[in-house]
Amino acid sequence: MNQQKPSPGLSRARGPSVADTLAADRVAPPGPLLEESYAFLGDADIPCSRYTSRQFADREFDRLWSKCWQWACREEHLQEVGDNYVYDIGPYSVIVVRTATQRIEAFVNSCTHRGTRLLGGEGCGYSRAFSCPFHGWSWSLDGQLRDLPGRWDFPHVDDTSHNLRQVQCERWGGFVFINLDPEARPLGEYLEVLPEHFRHFPLDRRRIRTHVQKVLPANWKAAQEAFMEAYHNFATHDAPNGANTQYDLFGKYVSRFIHNIGSYSAESLHDYPGDKWRAPPLSENQMLQMLSVFGLAHDEVPPGESARSIAAEDLRARLGEAWGVDLSDVSDSLMLDSIEYHLFPNMFFFCGITVPMVYRFRPNGEDVDSSLFDVLILEPLPEGAAHPEPPEPVKLSVEQSYAEAEGLGWLGPVYDEDTGNLLLQQQGLKASRKAGITLGNYQEARIRRVHLTLDEFLAENKRDQ
Amino acid sequence: MTNNRYEEVAQLSQLPVGKTLCVERSGREILLCRTQEGVFAVDNLCTHAAARLCEGRLKGQRIVCPLHGAAFDVRDGSALTAPAVQALGCYAVNVEGDSIQLALPGETL
Repeated sequence: MNQQKPSPGLSRARGPSVADTLAADRVAPPGPLLEESYAFLGDADIPCSRYTSRQFADREFDRLWSKCWQWACREEHLQEVGDNYVYDIGPYSVIVVRTATQRIEAFVNSCTHRGTRLLGGEGCGYSRAFSCPFHGWSWSLDGQLRDLPGRWDFPHVDDTSHNLRQVQCERWGGFVFINLDPEARPLGEYLEVLPEHFRHFPLDRRRIRTHVQKVLPANWKAAQEAFMEAYHNFATHDAPNGANTQYDLFGKYVSRFIHNIGSYSAESLHDYPGDKWRAPPLSENQMLQMLSVFGLAHDEVPPGESARSIAAEDLRARLGEAWGVDLSDVSDSLMLDSIEYHLFPNMFFFCGITVPMVYRFRPNGEDVDSSLFDVLILEPLPEGAAHPEPPEPVKLSVEQSYAEAEGLGWLGPVYDEDTGNLLLQQQGLKASRKAGITLGNYQEARIRRVHLTLDEFLAENKRDQ
Repeated sequence: MTNNRYEEVAQLSQLPVGKTLCVERSGREILLCRTQEGVFAVDNLCTHAAARLCEGRLKGQRIVCPLHGAAFDVRDGSALTAPAVQALGCYAVNVEGDSIQLALPGETL
């Protein structure tokens, strides 16, 4: 009676895999999308306290956020010498500044005299030099102490002892990354497959079309984990496709999912409740109807065609013309699919054309129970075109709906559905009498990967104390 | 506002979106700021340490002071970030064709 169980992590949803779908696409994808990389990482529960405990959050500030690479802004935020961007992470604050035409540097946003925060706001700014509003000490853009009113009283301050404290700063894909750890290994070692994979879909040749920043009612890890799997699509988003999403773990820091859009497998839902999308399955015309939110020319699938290939074709023409870019060789997968790379601890980069987001999740100040979620929509730039001045972020409070942010289109209602879950999850994590959360071996492996790497940060830096 | 008398101070074609222009009216420096939402006029001197905002940068709807990084909303003059706490004076603007017009002195919003 009992069938032999496969080894943990080897089971998959029934029906065609992502690899099968990509192999059938009319325009084939670039090599990185054909790679598969998964390993079983264990199935132990993850303690709920990691999401709710003040002490755990404090350890993260001490040992994670002060030690890991994180993107602070885009290069396009810093177009001219003197342009700066203030990036806050928990109790820390960093000024990223263009100090010369080709040079971007970062400094701790704190006066070396009595510690006052130098730049008050967060986000884009500008100044010719840095000057403390308290006693007027000032520094050149490259952090060198320049003026010290009443120098006669500070014989113990020399020319170099009170420069602004430098923060490690590197660039990749049009993003400016910082790391508060002076001993941190170079960013390149941390990016794993990202530089090689994104050679095929360069993010530096995109510009920010929309930036929305919202407060979410959950710990930063719970918030980002809602975006790391497509398992929730059926229940949360009333969507048919998600069960046969592909999940990849490329190393300690980078993971990926590829979630096909415009195709699904009825068999993948074989043990889901009800008959929806299974008996009968969706027709190709019904699938095309679902894709109409993207703005398609066709409202019917021609005989012998698939909804997926027709949608990809329509979008190549419409978006290519709208943006002044040639999309004629872009694969069906890049045109349509939700292809999401995650970089530890909190960054997501999508390489697709119609699903072109970047996410960043971080603690909201030092609050354990809420987080800040930045969504950037990145649009391809025509060849040779300069980056325009980026839009200011639309800031939404925890109560506001994504519908209030222009520019998100079909994503707005989707994010509102995710947000609704998060409030319930954070409440439930506190109410739970079960010590930990349970994860699927395959579909939720990326979440486990983040926790394992987080453990290494929390343990590794213990040695320093 | 509708009873204000306006006087031309600049041409719209002189002022691209995202840029500012300092004009003088009755000895007072006024900064014209053109954003995606229109043309706005505020005092040119920062309320914190009187630096000239025309030497700062317009970021979206914010003018940022070059000296200490204080930011003001050009639509209503409100101070957004430390060290500034007092709002900038702001002035009614009328745009007719290429003509940017300011309300006469004493008729601030």
